[in-house]
Amino acid sequence: MRGPGGAREERFRSLHRDTYADLLRFVERRVPPGEAEDVVSTVYLTAWRRFDDLPDDARPWLFAVARNTMANQTRSWLRRRALDVRLESLGASERGDDAAGAAVRIDLERAWRALSAADREVLALVAFDGLTAEQAATVLGCRRSTFAMRLGRARRRLRSALEPPESGTRPLSRPYSLKEQQSWTQA
Amino acid sequence: MDASMKDLDMKNLESLAVLDPARGREPTDMEWTRSRAFVDRVIAGEVTRRAAHRPVRRWLAVGAAAVAAGAVGAVAVPALLPGTAERAVASWTAVPSSRTGEQVLPQARACAASDVGARSSSPHPDDVLLAEQRGVATLLIVRKAGTVVECLSVGDDQFAAMGLLDDGPLPAQPAGTVTLETMSSLGSGEGMMSNIVGLVGPGVTGVEIRLDNGRVMQASVEAGWWAAWWPGPEGGEVDRLTVIVHTADGMTSHRPSELP
Repeated sequence: MRGPGGAREERFRSLHRDTYADLLRFVERRVPPGEAEDVVSTVYLTAWRRFDDLPDDARPWLFAVARNTMANQTRSWLRRRALDVRLESLGASERGDDAAGAAVRIDLERAWRALSAADREVLALVAFDGLTAEQAATVLGCRRSTFAMRLGRARRRLRSALEPPESGTRPLSRPYSLKEQQSWTQA
Repeated sequence: MDASMKDLDMKNLESLAVLDPARGREPTDMEWTRSRAFVDRVIAGEVTRRAAHRPVRRWLAVGAAAVAAGAVGAVAVPALLPGTAERAVASWTAVPSSRTGEQVLPQARACAASDVGARSSSPHPDDVLLAEQRGVATLLIVRKAGTVVECLSVGDDQFAAMGLLDDGPLPAQPAGTVTLETMSSLGSGEGMMSNIVGLVGPGVTGVEIRLDNGRVMQASVEAGWWAAWWPGPEGGEVDRLTVIVHTADGMTSHRPSELP
């Protein structure tokens, strides 16, 4: 029969089982894959130490620890410009198979790049990480109303960036060959 | 904001998912194994401080291969020059020849000039912590300006490098034990190769790798490090090999996932 300590350990293993994949994805969206596992390990070490403080909805709490970890490492490791969200590489097959879809995507990429890193982070928490406004506010350490305001502004700027220019001189969409990792080294 | 504008807003937000760099990403079996093992160590109290930063441990193409990839300073999966990896694999030997820092100084200089780790223009033979030769391939562990890196080269082609540790005193290892610092595979097809690197404690007299297919090889042990490379994919797979640690008292066998 397992004592209270065993139950606690099992709850922690259960937390790991339930959140590891989401946490790894959250981190890999923001740092190169080779660095993600170290960040994730640090998050679970922190979570074990503060296990009694964890809220019922632990996932945003873990994401917040990960975000802080990455921000600290950003400062001390690689002299990166900012903690930013990466973009999916645009593969050749995706460009060629569906011309209309590829054009939409290229427009989205261009709009995304036109946004500030802060706007990208707010949008990514909802669009990529699938968080609610409440959860995203936990990750950023701000009030829900503050997050909602920032999200609203980011959405407006995204919409504006997607709108065609009035002059009619809009450049043709061109397939960017994204070198997603370039911004993460020798910054 | 009117209703149609809100619809457009939501649609834009949802459509952003196509840009998600982790779309469809699931952890591999090896990642699950490593993470579970880490959680076990945390629960057991074996990890007592926040994990120190370790340099990025993945192969980066350097030298001629990096130029071929067309992206100096960018992270690139090593696009080995045609034939380089195949030559290394064809001449591979299970038992390495030890090399001195003097003997591998040209390779150490090329390694030091790469973008991996801190740049160092003039390595000293003493900066070479471990050097071994298997056929035409030279494997080095080199101290360079505050970091420790691993480099693999064939002839004049310095083709891959990987950061291992920040320089400084190595973490104290219990006597007769080894750690696994990194294990991976690179390349493809006939040129696929694996590598494995770790730290050794005092009293370790030798380290061997036994692949599950029966092939056995000797790792190099020097200056507190052990390392080996071999043809094949096992370094990128979960527990497809056994690490055999020799001491004066005998030997112990470990699956990679069991090693700290």
